[in-house]
Amino acid sequence: MTALLLLDALGFVLAILLVAMGLVIVFGMMRVINMAHGELFLLGAYTLLVAEQLGLGFWAGLLLAPLVVGAIGLLLEALVIRHIYHRFLDTILATFGLSLVIKQGVVLLFGPESRTVEPPFSFRLGGEALSYPAYRLFIMAMSLAVVWLTFHLLRRTRFGLMARAVVANRSMASCLGIDTRRLDRWTFAYGAALAGFAGAVMAPIMSVDPQMGMGFLVPAFLAILTGGAQHLAGAMLGAGLIGGTDTLIARLVSPVAAQLIVLAAAIVVIRLCPDGLAARLGRGRR
Amino acid sequence: MARLCRLDRIHLALALLLLLLPLVLSDWHLTQLSQFLTYGLLAASLAFLWGQAGVLSFGHALFFGLGAYAMSLASMGRIPFWPAGSWSGLLLALLLPALVARLLGWFLFHGQGLRGAYLGIVLLALALIAERVATSWAYVGGMNGLMNVPAFSPWPGLELVEPRPLYYALLLVTGLAMLLLEAVTRSRFGLVLRAIQEDERRTAFTGFDTAACKATALTLSGMVAGLAGALFVIQFGFVSPPLIGFGLSTEVLVWTALGGRSLLAAAFIGALAVRWLESSLSEWLGAFWPLALGLLFVLVVVLLPRGLVAEPWLRWAARANGLDPAAREGKPGDHHAED
Repeated sequence: MTALLLLDALGFVLAILLVAMGLVIVFGMMRVINMAHGELFLLGAYTLLVAEQLGLGFWAGLLLAPLVVGAIGLLLEALVIRHIYHRFLDTILATFGLSLVIKQGVVLLFGPESRTVEPPFSFRLGGEALSYPAYRLFIMAMSLAVVWLTFHLLRRTRFGLMARAVVANRSMASCLGIDTRRLDRWTFAYGAALAGFAGAVMAPIMSVDPQMGMGFLVPAFLAILTGGAQHLAGAMLGAGLIGGTDTLIARLVSPVAAQLIVLAAAIVVIRLCPDGLAARLGRGRR
Repeated sequence: MARLCRLDRIHLALALLLLLLPLVLSDWHLTQLSQFLTYGLLAASLAFLWGQAGVLSFGHALFFGLGAYAMSLASMGRIPFWPAGSWSGLLLALLLPALVARLLGWFLFHGQGLRGAYLGIVLLALALIAERVATSWAYVGGMNGLMNVPAFSPWPGLELVEPRPLYYALLLVTGLAMLLLEAVTRSRFGLVLRAIQEDERRTAFTGFDTAACKATALTLSGMVAGLAGALFVIQFGFVSPPLIGFGLSTEVLVWTALGGRSLLAAAFIGALAVRWLESSLSEWLGAFWPLALGLLFVLVVVLLPRGLVAEPWLRWAARANGLDPAAREGKPGDHHAED
């Protein structure tokens, strides 16, 4: 029983982390709060749906989703986001407007009804005492893989080096010959691709409908703000806190109480240390 | 006082138009118009907070909903130790949102306060909490909300139910609230708020307690939003969780941004125009209407940040000598990320 609860909590934590990864990349590097992230997630799920309907199968859909949504991200960046980088608050408004447009576009194309996507494998892993759906374990593994990939990208590649230089000092990086324009474009596209991948990989365990983006967006936002948006470790800490407490309280008390307590606690944490808990813990250690 | 400045000539024209419209509108359209008045007042309260003090609220329906619930519960006499009745309901609908806004303002702004995106997300989360509480709390009617709130009765024996008297009563209250906000905007305090929007740190250096000023602005804005919520209940006699939640919060944001946040009346017109277009076009456009509205919103944010109504208005007003344009211009470009 306890093991099952822990697995559920871990699953939720990793799901939030998967969604938050794209957000934290875009917010941490470009200072853009992407309110359309939930809708990019949605587009990932629908890409998978279309791929399955075209007979390409689940795995091709899973590969296509980040590519398609990443391309859409590139387009959005070029058409909208690029014009308002210097207007911080307006990026929230513009991406929120984009989220309305995308959501309504999906309603027009696919209708408002919810659909289901069958997981590619539905067996359970484990023995008599404890068994768990294998697909949920697969999602957890994918979330960890995405985190590892992002770490690797930022820490071990030339792109990551340039990206970190831009975060540290944008104008200096630009003076050193880094094309910040190009970097912004690909950062946003990468964030969008992560959202698309998250949507596709989680589609089999959710009801796929035009409202599905909203559900994970708010926990993901709270996770990166409580944990700290400056680094990936903050997002992991935040996702762990938000997801963990939510699952535990939901199981022990009620889902409504869980949502209320988590939201209220997150607000207090964000207020008391706006730089995030990770920054505070890091300072304490030094 | 030789002549009115151009800004006020439009204010006057708007007031006259709203006064005379009942002469030509049918009862059905008039009822719609009075509903739009409450939304217009909500948009103006947001424009005051956002366009003057630069505080972007992603959860402004919180105050609207609090006012609406306070009005309903007090009119129905369901609040212990608080007298039942229309006037006491109206009073509570002003006090409760103002109190909540005051506490929030103290909590969010004092010390090294929250601003920008963080503040937006926190207020959004607050609206979500409020909607969740309203949905699951039986005392305030749960999912269905509260039905059959008694009609507003200014004195015993008279009830405001006929569309025309109701419209004029709502218009009077809305007009007074708009005048109050406009007066504050033009006062010395309004100037301080615009200074805070321009550069909060510099304003603090010149000796102003900027956190207290922002908290006061939030209190006033929350109170007017609560009043708008009460007016909604006076008109429809019901309240339900969507009135306090995320959906309406984002809608009022769209109206305010489309109309123009730097002029209260522009935000007011924005709300009226969007709602009017929605009711007349949505049958024809169907599901394309939200798409068109969203696209228009993105375009306005990117290309015309001063708003569709306020932009030509401010330009026209600036051309005359009656007004110093710089003093009223919203400066949307000044919220840089520190790079």
